[in-house]
Amino acid sequence: MNASCAATLTRDADHWVGRFVAMASPCEVLIDHAPQSVAQQVLDTVAAEAWRIEHKFSRYRSDGAVNRINESAGRATVVDEESANLLDFAATLTRLSDGAFDITSGVLRKAWTFDGGDHVPSQAQIDVLLELVGWHNVEWQRPILKLRAGMQIDLGGIGKEYAVDAAAGLVETAAPGLSCLINFGGDVAVRNTRQDGKPWRVGIESWARMGAAERVVQLSHGALATSGDSRRFVFRGGHRYSHILDARTGWPVRNGPHSVTVAADTCTQAGTLTTLAMLQGQYAERVLKASGVRYWLQ
Amino acid sequence: MKDYDNFNATLAAATCALLGSAVATPVAAQEEAGRWSFDSTLLYYGESDDRVRDISAAVSAQRDFGDERKLSATLTADTLTGASASGAIALDRPQTFTSPSGRAVYTTGAGDVPLDDTFLDTRFALNASWMQPLARLYTVSAGLGFSTEYDYTHLGANLSLARDFNKRNTTLSAGLAWSQDDVDPVGGRPIPLSQMLDVGNGTNKRDGSESKDVLDLLIGFTQVLNRTTVLRVNYSYSDSSGYLNDPYKLLSVVDPLTGDTLTRVPVGQGPDGVYLFESRPDSRTKQSLYAEVKHAFGKPVMHFAYRFMTDDWGIDSHTGEVRLRWPLGDGYIEPQLRYYTQSAADFYRASLVSGAVLPRYASADFRLGDFDATTVGIKYGHDTPGGNEWSIRAEYYQQNGSVPREQIIGNQAHRDQYPDLSAVIVQFGYRFKL
Repeated sequence: MNASCAATLTRDADHWVGRFVAMASPCEVLIDHAPQSVAQQVLDTVAAEAWRIEHKFSRYRSDGAVNRINESAGRATVVDEESANLLDFAATLTRLSDGAFDITSGVLRKAWTFDGGDHVPSQAQIDVLLELVGWHNVEWQRPILKLRAGMQIDLGGIGKEYAVDAAAGLVETAAPGLSCLINFGGDVAVRNTRQDGKPWRVGIESWARMGAAERVVQLSHGALATSGDSRRFVFRGGHRYSHILDARTGWPVRNGPHSVTVAADTCTQAGTLTTLAMLQGQYAERVLKASGVRYWLQ
Repeated sequence: MKDYDNFNATLAAATCALLGSAVATPVAAQEEAGRWSFDSTLLYYGESDDRVRDISAAVSAQRDFGDERKLSATLTADTLTGASASGAIALDRPQTFTSPSGRAVYTTGAGDVPLDDTFLDTRFALNASWMQPLARLYTVSAGLGFSTEYDYTHLGANLSLARDFNKRNTTLSAGLAWSQDDVDPVGGRPIPLSQMLDVGNGTNKRDGSESKDVLDLLIGFTQVLNRTTVLRVNYSYSDSSGYLNDPYKLLSVVDPLTGDTLTRVPVGQGPDGVYLFESRPDSRTKQSLYAEVKHAFGKPVMHFAYRFMTDDWGIDSHTGEVRLRWPLGDGYIEPQLRYYTQSAADFYRASLVSGAVLPRYASADFRLGDFDATTVGIKYGHDTPGGNEWSIRAEYYQQNGSVPREQIIGNQAHRDQYPDLSAVIVQFGYRFKL
């Protein structure tokens, strides 16, 4: 582990705060009343799980599972159990979104750079890349996966929420009944009610004012996930193009909400709903309403 | 994504397959209001036959200061016009009364139920309360209230303490409220059971104000029964003392055989019948028990409530209410039904009989009589995309009362001694945040 992998534990009024960086995000664990040794163990467990998942599923890690899959594009490859579970899950999301969500759409980022500027690629550029997009072009017969040559998968869209739930599950095993809040860059899960019965308080960042809490959600248990185009967009010709790309067209979703926050039983569910909602653009709210979850739009 | 039921089930199944047994307990998330939020309402209440009409506007503001410290304040303005029954019985002939001010007379037509002289009153009320945790699991709240109208001033204060138990699934609370009301009637306070006199003769009236003190004690219990059901039970004890009369209410003094009001000849302008001002005890103790169950059947929410009230004036009342909140598009629709019934106060008299011993206490105020009332209503609320809510509520109120048969004398049997009352209530509401 390198220096950026350090996790720190500090004591707040009635809980412990553990911090580290993983998946390019600030991560924190809040641990209700517990001896320091237990808090340290919880933090170590959570951080280790975050780093493990980051390492395994990052497409930037040359020795990770995703990278191995991408390198073997064009050939059949056997994937491990956990990767297979994620691929199955991703395939379900593709089906639920009628193809708008697709883990093979990452190559489109070669054309799109969402830096707040006004660069919009040509349709020709997009068409070339679209040849390499589409789960229907992938042969997936668990546990054997075969991507077409040039295709790539990117689990970035679900990895962080999955990591939050996976870490929460490990904490439950390591310290059953202990109340903690796990927050990986705004994707949050809470396990168990706090000793004093009070909820954990989670601020949802204001879309317009960076760092300011738009509202505070009290979470006793369950999860919150947020998806948004806060500072990642292209503005051109009076249109704001979000960084959420529709895999069917290769174009960003337009006129959607700036940000969607969903409360659900698990972080994976919440995150999935935010992603699927964002992909609906101006109809984002329909999916959320129909799902019956609590949500907040900005 | 056309089939949303399937969508939810598929997503839940896929998540479960991915996370295995690590699936958490159901989410419990609630938003904390960090800004000022406002609730504004405009209400119209109109009784049939052009009796009382009330237009009321209220704005309440709430602010959450974090850590469960909340401030709320409500400002209300009311305009009341029209007239209510004075307590005098209807006759086959017109009746003339001296107005409350003692400076004029007014006449009620033959067969009509005598109403108070037309009144116009404007009331302003301001209430404010502060709530905060006191210690772990304890919450305290305190409030002040003030209201003023032409002949009435109210000042009140309240304090309550709640404690949570059982992982906050159970809440016990106790509250104390005190208020003092000052009444300064138009034209002075009539001496109880004194006769209505001619214009210009104020010898039966006292100037200045009288006061009434009310002390309320409340004990409450709230229990979350399961994820979809909440039960609340309250017991309250209320003690009023001081001036409890309505200075404008009358009783007709009637002939023991005909049942008609005795006539008198005014000197100059004055009443042409014998009417006495009412007399109520100077204390009243009420006890009430209230139970409420809220149950969510999926998204629709049902609300049942029942209240029993009993007091030492002999009034027992029962109120039952049911409401169903049904989601509809971007909002909800909420039909409601309420039934109220009460027995008469021991000293309720439709009229006083000439020649009989005058009781110590007597009132012909219909509100102290035997009656029941049904309210049917419907509310529609709509959530705006900005997170605000507007609503409209319409209710119809029907009240039917009766006078005990043994109190009906002679000709009174041919006349309606307790006229029915109906009213329409329409309310617009808008809830917003700043």
